[in-house]
Amino acid sequence: MTQTDLPLPLYQHIASHTIQQLEPAWLQLEKGSERIIQVGGAWQYYCQQMPQAGQQASDVFDVLIAMLPISESFELPQVQLQDGKYTDIFGLCEPHHDWLLFCDVTQNTLNIQQYHQISNDFILLKAQMKQTLHRYIGHEVSERIAQGEMQLDAAGERKTIATLFVDIRGFTPFNERHDAQMVMQTLNDYMNGMLPAILQHHGMVDKIMGDGVMAVFGVLPSENHCCLDAFHSAKQIIQAIYTLNQHRLSSGLEQLGIGVGIASGEAVLGILGSHERRAFTAIGRHVNLAARLESNARVGEILIDKTVHQTLGQSHAFTAVTLTLKGIGQSDVFSRILPCIHGDD
Amino acid sequence: MIQKKICILGAAGVGKTSLTAQFVYSKFSEKYLSTMGVKIDKKVVTVDDTSVNLMIWDIHGEDKYKKITNSYLRGSAGILTVIDGTRAETIQTAYEILERVHRDIGKIPNIFLLNKHDLSDAWDINEQALAELKKYGNPIYTTSAKTGEHVDSSFQKLTKMLIKP
Ligand SMILES: Nc1nc2c(ncn2[C@@H]2O[C@H](COP(=O)(O)OP(=O)(O)OP(=O)(O)O)[C@@H](O)[C@H]2O)c(=O)[nH]1
Ligand SMILES: [Mg+2]
Repeated sequence: MTQTDLPLPLYQHIASHTIQQLEPAWLQLEKGSERIIQVGGAWQYYCQQMPQAGQQASDVFDVLIAMLPISESFELPQVQLQDGKYTDIFGLCEPHHDWLLFCDVTQNTLNIQQYHQISNDFILLKAQMKQTLHRYIGHEVSERIAQGEMQLDAAGERKTIATLFVDIRGFTPFNERHDAQMVMQTLNDYMNGMLPAILQHHGMVDKIMGDGVMAVFGVLPSENHCCLDAFHSAKQIIQAIYTLNQHRLSSGLEQLGIGVGIASGEAVLGILGSHERRAFTAIGRHVNLAARLESNARVGEILIDKTVHQTLGQSHAFTAVTLTLKGIGQSDVFSRILPCIHGDD
Repeated sequence: MIQKKICILGAAGVGKTSLTAQFVYSKFSEKYLSTMGVKIDKKVVTVDDTSVNLMIWDIHGEDKYKKITNSYLRGSAGILTVIDGTRAETIQTAYEILERVHRDIGKIPNIFLLNKHDLSDAWDINEQALAELKKYGNPIYTTSAKTGEHVDSSFQKLTKMLIKP
């Protein structure tokens, strides 16, 4: 925008407002050289000692080493001249003199840095999650296929399986209260408590969704019934979290609880991806039921459907309850609560 | 004393700032503070009796929305292109950056650093990717800003390439 587009008082208002924010300081240089002729502006923002006429500009500012003389105009955005202080530096080529202009952009840069940090933390977190996922699904499955222990039909195999959902209660508010690094570390600790318990009972991690896991039993070979494997896995998961919470309590960290839902039925197992990176997905009516049970489970609670309960028999101390499940309606299900969080006694 | 400017380039979070901190201050931190713009450090490096004052430009990570301003590269004598060995996708970013460097300021000496080598469990660079990288004909070092593995030697090597082409 040029001056003529805007009435002079308005132009001046904007100019003085902007200049005030930028705290500019400048050096006039001998044409085609880096010798300082004149100095002006708010140098206290950029260096301890004000540059002097006669000095070489790159002797005063390391950042200018190899940048001078100014053969063509340039802009160096967001240079950290001091810790936590950001400066835009402009080199301007004019017919008779060259100029260096310094503008303070600290405030603006720090504002952007917050978003920048969140998005970059997220990139690292996502990569870490992908690796966990690959380690627990991709690798496991491809190994077993390679060893002929398991056969897969890409068109979708029908099988009776048990599906287990588990998630961390209160993780969203926890996430909002703490910085990304802390959240990442905590999530990892809880995942490390849950995932081995699934694998040890021949379960397969189907998905990791933020703070929750979906696992299927009855796909990988096992001597036990899939419902029994899923139940033992759930017990072991809660036990592992109970132990983890013990450590967290004694380190003065917040304890988080988990809830589990298990349902069983026939499912179509499909394969996503190809070649080395095969990953499953299980599709069946009971999968949705298992997810609903998990979202109704209280801290330390295992909720199972009728089918799982019938298979387990009476000996596992479940209590019959009737719940209204979203999208499903009134359901007779079974509940058992195990210790998961330590009291602060 | 000879002064040389070098730039450290690569995708976000690959360890550019950590490598610089390890090289200049022998320090490492697990905490990630993403770089905005550029920060300049210096260190005197001696190769075969010649002392070089190395100006190290630690530049912000490149991503889809934030490309590296090419005026940062002005006057640069050499570059270290950093790849996160636990994230193979950062190789692609390295290639894209390098192509722009070649286009904008020409073929200056470059070394590839495959960083975070201490995280061997999570290593994500396979033989094929490595073979591809070798085609560039630039030296490749596996480094760790955490343990210090190959950090000094890679800066030393680049300095050597700058003064004895
Ligand atoms: N284990 C390990 N972690 C590393 C290594 N190098 C960097 N990190 C970690 O990786 C994260 C990012 O490191 P930075 O050095 O800030 O990465 P950067 O490339 O400067 O990132 P941007 O400035 O955002 O582009 C930090 O949490 C570091 O602690 C390494 O060699 N080993
Ligand atoms: Mg950085």
